[in-house]
Amino acid sequence: MKRLKLKASAFFFISAAMLMNNAWSEQEYKPDAGFVWKDGAEIYAKVCAYCHEANVGPKILNRELPVAYIRAIVRSGILAMPAFRSSEIDDESLAKLANFISQKASQH
Amino acid sequence: MASKYIALPKGVSEKDFDAAIVKFREILGNDSVLTSAEQLAPYTKTMMPVSDAEHTLSAALLATTVEQIQKIVAVCNQYKVPIWTISTGKNLGYGSAAPAERGQVVLDLKRMNRILEVDKDLAFALVEPGVTYQQLYDYIKEHKLGLWLSMPAPTAIAGPVGNTLDRGVGYTPYGEQFLFACGMEVVLANGEVLRTGMGSMPNSNTWQVFKWGYGPYLDGIFTQSNYGIVTKFGFWLMPAPPAFKPFAIQYQHEEDIVEIVETIRPLRISGVIPNAVVIAHALYEAPVTAKRSDYVSGPGSIPDEAVHRIMKDHKLGIWNVYAALYGTQEQIDVNWKIVMEAFLRSGKAKILTEEEVAEDAAFTYRAKLMCGEMTLTEFSLYNWRGGGGSMWFAPVSQARGSETLKQMALTKQILAKYGLDYSGEFIVGMRDMHHIVDVLYDKTDPEQVKAAYQCFDELLTEFSARGYGTYRVNTAFMDKVAETYGPVQRNIHKTLKKALDPNGILAPGKSGIR
Repeated sequence: MKRLKLKASAFFFISAAMLMNNAWSEQEYKPDAGFVWKDGAEIYAKVCAYCHEANVGPKILNRELPVAYIRAIVRSGILAMPAFRSSEIDDESLAKLANFISQKASQH
Repeated sequence: MASKYIALPKGVSEKDFDAAIVKFREILGNDSVLTSAEQLAPYTKTMMPVSDAEHTLSAALLATTVEQIQKIVAVCNQYKVPIWTISTGKNLGYGSAAPAERGQVVLDLKRMNRILEVDKDLAFALVEPGVTYQQLYDYIKEHKLGLWLSMPAPTAIAGPVGNTLDRGVGYTPYGEQFLFACGMEVVLANGEVLRTGMGSMPNSNTWQVFKWGYGPYLDGIFTQSNYGIVTKFGFWLMPAPPAFKPFAIQYQHEEDIVEIVETIRPLRISGVIPNAVVIAHALYEAPVTAKRSDYVSGPGSIPDEAVHRIMKDHKLGIWNVYAALYGTQEQIDVNWKIVMEAFLRSGKAKILTEEEVAEDAAFTYRAKLMCGEMTLTEFSLYNWRGGGGSMWFAPVSQARGSETLKQMALTKQILAKYGLDYSGEFIVGMRDMHHIVDVLYDKTDPEQVKAAYQCFDELLTEFSARGYGTYRVNTAFMDKVAETYGPVQRNIHKTLKKALDPNGILAPGKSGIR
């Protein structure tokens, strides 16, 4: 009986804490959707280019690399290149990035 | 029958894990609970010399709100499912996005990426865990706030929450980043939400301006720990100074490190040089422009003779000091005179400023790091050996010349025994130095993998035997480092863990704490 009571009060406490937190959130912060990528060019400039335009990684623009290959390498990484998760570059943005990288020079 | 998961948490049956996954999906939606091998592939790549299978996760949860995290920990408590929390997941060379132990569920907070507040007048920020330095940098530029970031070398893709919680360092006057942390929101294992310091008081507006609050200071126990999940994080930003003067100083002999440190220490402690100065060995800087294969082939560490040829060809010192002055032009002029007098006294130093080396690739990236600009050029280190193997060996040293020489010589000797090169630097703190060595090896070569593991193990053993502690380490060696700090500290860590997380659901193994 005593244990049940304790469990019940713990549940109440957590629920109260959650409600309280909701109140804080609404009171202090305006709803904000957070960051989303605009397009492939932005991802390239703010992630890829720091290595691939700086003699750290190989050049990848203007080589018409296959879209499927780019997507696979971004997700798995290769050698020293880190992998990028869907939480960092979502699938839709990755498709845009892969298209941006694979297209011909004149289209950049 | 084969499991439907690529790994399972230790001690959790597939039936219980199924039930937990169903509840996680109710909380987050199907698309934010990842369990397939394809979805989880990006979480499994590490740079450590162990099989990635030892650090394979069972699932990833993409939470975006505090309320979701509260519900997730309730499920974890019910089914005893351990979760490994990451923010940007770019702790490269320390474990990347993979958990400490096989089968843990990764709680990925990258999508929790709101910049909640940046105050121009009081120069502070409050952000969520998924905010990257690039995102915050862009926000500050867009809103013309005139504030600078202090960042580790993987600037753009890393973030302030993860880096500071792991007690990483940067290169500006705010380089000892945890000193500038101010206020956290933490989801505890029981679902409660704690705001540290002044944040505990309803209606307080001093959460991000006064660190200490009232009573025991708690923020420290949420760094390098597994006592809670930090969901909001406040920290101070440096007002952009009117003028900035980066410079480099080169020395030609390894034993000159004694003179360098003895010269820098008083300048750093007195604040004449205010930033986290770097003293980089030639082999730390060489990869920016040099290829190892142009100088040496076959097994074994690179001989000193080849290092000297690299120095000559690529205009490097054996030691390359990078520092900067900040303030008004008048302040910089006065301090520059003091710096010049101090370094020119012995006749060994070659001082270089932007006028001489503005085009130099190594100087350019170092200057960027010292003023909070984005660069990933330090990743050139990974091309030195190739093959994607890297571990940061990070012992702490006194800022005393004789000590740095001893540490450098010992490190170089142990690395050479295993055929590895000394790619090291010292980052000058207030009275300490972070001796940072990238143990680089080819992860595609099983012999080098074995050598790198044994080498790292010996480095930790030999350094701790001499009283040199490691400030941070990758997930394969956390228990070993925890042991070096002795049983009393380990017991205290365990006592806190039991009190705050009795079911051991939060990141078991972090810093050797379970």
